[in-house]
Amino acid sequence: MESSLELTTSLPGTYPPLLRSRIFKIIVIGDSGVGKTCLTYRFCAGKFPDKTEATIGVDFREKVIEINGEKIKVQLWDTAGQERFRKSMVQHYYRNVHAVVFVYDVTNAASFRSLPAWIEECRQHSLGQEVPRILVGNKCDLQHALQVGTELAQKFADSHSMPLFETSAKNPDDNDHVEAIFMTVAHKLKSQKPLMLSQPPGGGGAPPLGKSEEEEEGGWSCNC
Amino acid sequence: MYLKKSKRVGASSPLNGIGKQDWDSRRKRKMGEISQALGVTPVDVAALRRMAISEGGLLTDEMRCRVWPKLLNMNTDNLPDKPAADLRENHKDYHQVLLDVRRSLRRFPPGMPDDQREGLQEELTDIILHVLDRNPQLHYYQGYHDIVVTFLLVLGERLATVLVEKLSTHHLRDFMDPTMDNTKHILNYLMPIIERVNPEVHDFMQQAEVGTIFALSWLITWFGHVLSDFRHVVRLYDFFLACHPLMPIYFAAVIVLHREEEVLDCECDMASVHHLLSQIPQDLPYETLISRAGDLFVQFPPSELAREAAQQNSQQTAASTFKDFELASAQQKPDSVLRRRRKERAETQAQAQAQAQAQAQAMVVARPRAKRLIRLAVMGLTVALGAAALAVVNTALEWAPKLDLQFFP
Ligand SMILES: Nc1nc2c(ncn2[C@@H]2O[C@H](COP(=O)(O)OP(=O)(O)OP(=O)(O)O)[C@@H](O)[C@H]2O)c(=O)[nH]1
Ligand SMILES: [Mg+2]
Repeated sequence: MESSLELTTSLPGTYPPLLRSRIFKIIVIGDSGVGKTCLTYRFCAGKFPDKTEATIGVDFREKVIEINGEKIKVQLWDTAGQERFRKSMVQHYYRNVHAVVFVYDVTNAASFRSLPAWIEECRQHSLGQEVPRILVGNKCDLQHALQVGTELAQKFADSHSMPLFETSAKNPDDNDHVEAIFMTVAHKLKSQKPLMLSQPPGGGGAPPLGKSEEEEEGGWSCNC
Repeated sequence: MYLKKSKRVGASSPLNGIGKQDWDSRRKRKMGEISQALGVTPVDVAALRRMAISEGGLLTDEMRCRVWPKLLNMNTDNLPDKPAADLRENHKDYHQVLLDVRRSLRRFPPGMPDDQREGLQEELTDIILHVLDRNPQLHYYQGYHDIVVTFLLVLGERLATVLVEKLSTHHLRDFMDPTMDNTKHILNYLMPIIERVNPEVHDFMQQAEVGTIFALSWLITWFGHVLSDFRHVVRLYDFFLACHPLMPIYFAAVIVLHREEEVLDCECDMASVHHLLSQIPQDLPYETLISRAGDLFVQFPPSELAREAAQQNSQQTAASTFKDFELASAQQKPDSVLRRRRKERAETQAQAQAQAQAQAQAMVVARPRAKRLIRLAVMGLTVALGAAALAVVNTALEWAPKLDLQFFP
């Protein structure tokens, strides 16, 4: 399936242009309790939430970021981790996502072992290979309770050609790391697709300006 | 119990513009009526149902302790002992339950001391695991704990345990299947109800492809997960306990319809509409909405909607294979089209309403159309509620779990 990035923008020529920013739609998945809600909250609100609750169904969070002068809306779909919600419920939200964030908990080996099932889940929702995926090991602040080592996780990430990020939604000293992770995804998405909104109103037919700042596969991996 | 707060405030709760003194005396009278219905042998369950539905519900938590069991046809003379704590660790859902209960802080009254809250969280875990252990056919879902905590806070551990067990094998049964297919099926009632009342809102939501997941937590927690004021939660529980198990989905529809202006002003895409609707306003006019949900139930009973609800499944799959839905909706320019249609419709409606007002004295429950329910509500809560209560009493008797669902595999 084609990535539908450009479809969230107005279509040149058909209508007067909507002054809308581009939207990047990112789905966040992983076992219950790994910290999906905390991570997405941390990115959007800039802090660790003092109380989270179980996510029932799908929660939506949004943040406007700026990359090279372009304002971009990053939409995060924070999904429920419990298995029963995946099958019939969350499906709807896989449609037209631009990137996938897989999350496991570094203090919980079971959440790491579930990753193949989550990857399979994505496959079943026919997300194409070109949809960027990243792997996030959360709760790194709990070093004493570590169950999943970096080496093992890195191997797994490599075998699925995903970059790995180890982080903590909670750690107050590590102010920008969570943000940096989502920003990396956004940069990747931006570079993947040419700028549609630079089209002149009325769609003068000029092809999208500027070859995208194409990066090589693997050229955007972890730097944490 | 610790919920003195809920009792106290019940007395002065704002009741949709009804004068305070007036309400005080009506409240007193209602307390008397509830006690009377409880005092006769056999207990007048039909009257209790009406009380639970009508304005203010059951008023206090003491009343709830006495009436909720009756609404579930339960005899609470011989309560079993406290559930044993030893089954815990072995249960397959133990970890999930623990995780959810630990994160349930917001469900407890804000000023409650930590140790008291922690004690209650232990009890909460015990109740859930006890019921699951005794009923292997029931499967835990995230959100179940939001329902159980409400019963625990109102009724205390022992009474809550038996009521929750009964509720889980009846009203909540469909949510507790191995899969959520039946839950999804129930959610499928939402759009047909909305369509009956306000086709424009319906079309707009369809166009946005918002789906129904925004209402999932409302449905499976009976709004316990999303309402921060405990008084509102228990008021709704009065209503739902007295009604047909599908009533929460009617209530969900009523909330959406209540926000029709906001919805139609929203950007017509999945994210915007989902975001808007899933943020439930905390100052909803509950009494009005309850009465409206009752009306809708009478006007469009589940049997009338069942076929459409069943068809939604196939439609939904069709929609999801329709590849570039964003492309499609961009081409149809939904915002402007829908806005125009909305304006046209508003004009015809204004004319129709002028006519309708002339006939408004006669309450016609027969062939319902768009604005009728609003008229009903204006005519007086009691009239409408009377009708709604009657209907729910009747259907509650006939109701068997999954009755509707069996016909539509
Ligand atoms: N120490 C630590 N705790 C964390 C971190 N992230 C999340 N938590 C805690 O882990 C628990 C689960 O976090 P959530 O964000 O609610 O987990 P989730 O993945 O959204 O879970 P579901 O909604 O059930 O799927 C909470 O109690 C958080 O406080 C972290 O980075 N460090
Ligand atoms: Mg969550």
